[in-house]
Amino acid sequence: MTIHILEDDPGVSDSLLTFLKGLGYEACTYPDAESFLESAPPSPEDTIIVDLLLPGISGARVIEWLQTMKTPPRVIAITGQPQAAIEKQIHGLRNIQVLRKPLSAETIASMM
Amino acid sequence: MADFRDGAAITTVSDARLASVLDTAVDGILVIEERGKILVYNKACEGLFGYTPEEAIGQNVRLIMPADYADSHDQYLDNYLSTGSKRIIGIGREVRARHKDTTEFPVELSVGEARTPEGRQFIGIIRDLRSRKEAERRFNELQSDLVHMARVSAMDEMGAALAHELNQPLTAIMLYLQAASRSITRAVQGAPLPIDSFRQVLEKAVHEAERAGAIISRMRHFVEKREPQRRDVDIRAIVDEALELVMLGQRNPPRVTRNYASDLPLVSVDAVQIQQIIVNLLRNANEALKGRELPMVTIGAERRADHIVISVEDNGPGLPPSAIPTLFKAFSTSKRTGMGLGLSISRTIAQNHAGDLKVDPGGNGRGARFELELPINGGGSPASASDQQG
Repeated sequence: MTIHILEDDPGVSDSLLTFLKGLGYEACTYPDAESFLESAPPSPEDTIIVDLLLPGISGARVIEWLQTMKTPPRVIAITGQPQAAIEKQIHGLRNIQVLRKPLSAETIASMM
Repeated sequence: MADFRDGAAITTVSDARLASVLDTAVDGILVIEERGKILVYNKACEGLFGYTPEEAIGQNVRLIMPADYADSHDQYLDNYLSTGSKRIIGIGREVRARHKDTTEFPVELSVGEARTPEGRQFIGIIRDLRSRKEAERRFNELQSDLVHMARVSAMDEMGAALAHELNQPLTAIMLYLQAASRSITRAVQGAPLPIDSFRQVLEKAVHEAERAGAIISRMRHFVEKREPQRRDVDIRAIVDEALELVMLGQRNPPRVTRNYASDLPLVSVDAVQIQQIIVNLLRNANEALKGRELPMVTIGAERRADHIVISVEDNGPGLPPSAIPTLFKAFSTSKRTGMGLGLSISRTIAQNHAGDLKVDPGGNGRGARFELELPINGGGSPASASDQQG
C-alpha cells in the first residue's frame, strides 16, 4: 500500500513523508490536487492524507471524487482551520477522519 | 499690590488704576529695565514663581529662569541693545520658567518694549502652560491607546489565519523530531544510525522552528504597545513587511504588483503606525476581492513634490456610494466583523505625521484606490531648545 500526501505546505509535506517512511511505509507527496489527479489513481488499499485547504481544487472536492470510486481508499483529512470552517467543508462527506494541525505523530502512527 | 519701582509709593490716580489692572490680570506681568532688573512684578507672578514682590523686585530677572536661559539672558539683552535685532520682542514663544522651589515649567512669554525717560524697559506677559501641556499629553496618550487598540483588533481578526500559519511549522517540527527519535530508538536496538539523513532531519526541524519564530516576531512587533517613535525609514521596507503580514495564511492571495520609484528618500515616521495603515488598506483590499476571479492588488510608492505617496489599489467592485460619506468615521463599518476603526485611525495617524489619507472610491469596473501621503521632511519636527531662547 502507498500513502499519498496532498499538502501544499512544503514543511508539512516533507516532514510527513520523512516520518511515514521512517515507520516503513511507502509514501509520496503532491503539492496540489491537480498533480494528484493527473497521476495514476490510488488502489483500494492505499491511504490518502489530504489537506482540506489546497490552492486550486480543494481537498474536499478531492475527497468527493475519491468517494465515487467503486472501492474508495481510506481518507484522512488534515487541516489547521477553526472547527466551524472544517464542518462547513466536510459537510456531506462520509467516512472521513479529520485530524487538526498541529498533527500528533502518535495519532498518525496509530491510524496507519 | 504691584510696586512700580523700588519702594516708590503710589502717588497718582493713574498709578492706582494701573496697579489694580496689574493685580487683576490672570497672567504674570513683569517689567524689567534694560539691564534685566525687575521693576514690576504682579500678583499672578507671585503664584507662578513663589517669590513675594519684596523678594523679586530689584533682582535680575534671571531669578525666575532655569540656569541655561539665565546664563545667556544678559548676552541677549546686550545683543538687542547694541544691534536692535529682535529675537523675542513682539513675538510670543514657549519657554521654560523656574519656580522658587527650583521646579521648571513651560510658559508662553510675550515681550513688549517701552521707551521711558528712564531708559528702555521690557514688559513680559507670562502664561502658565502646564494645564494645556497636561491636556495635550493626556490627549496623545488616549490617541496612542486607541491606535494600539485598533492594531490589536486587526490582529485579532487575523488570528485564525495566523494560528493556521503557525500550525504548519509546528506540525513539521513534531513529525521531523519523531522521525529522528525513531532512528535513535532503532540505533539503540542495534541498527546503524543513518548519520547524514538524521542530521538532515534535525536541520529541517530547526528551519521550521525558525519559520515559526519569524511569524511570531512579525506579529509581536506589530501588536506590542510602545511609545510612538519616529526615525528615518525606507518606506518600501515598511510596505513589504506589511504585505507579508497580511498575506500570511491567505489561501487565495491576490496577485500583488509593486511599483516602487527607485529614488525614494527616507522619511521620518513611526514605522509601526505607518505599517498599521498599510496593513489596514491591504486587508480592506483583500476583503473587497473575496470571491473575485483573478484578484489583483497594486501597491505604488512615488515621490510627488515634497511628499511620498503610497497607493493601494485593488480590482474589486469599488466602494458603494453609500459608504463614502462615513468612510473615515470611527465605528462606522460596512463589514460584519471588526470595529470600524481602521480607516478612521489610519487617517488620524497620517495626519499626525502631517500627511493625509485619501480615497478614490472607484466603481463602474474600477476598484478602490487609497493614497497615503507623507511629507518628506517629517512635517515640522518639534522646535529644539536653542530655538526657544530669545
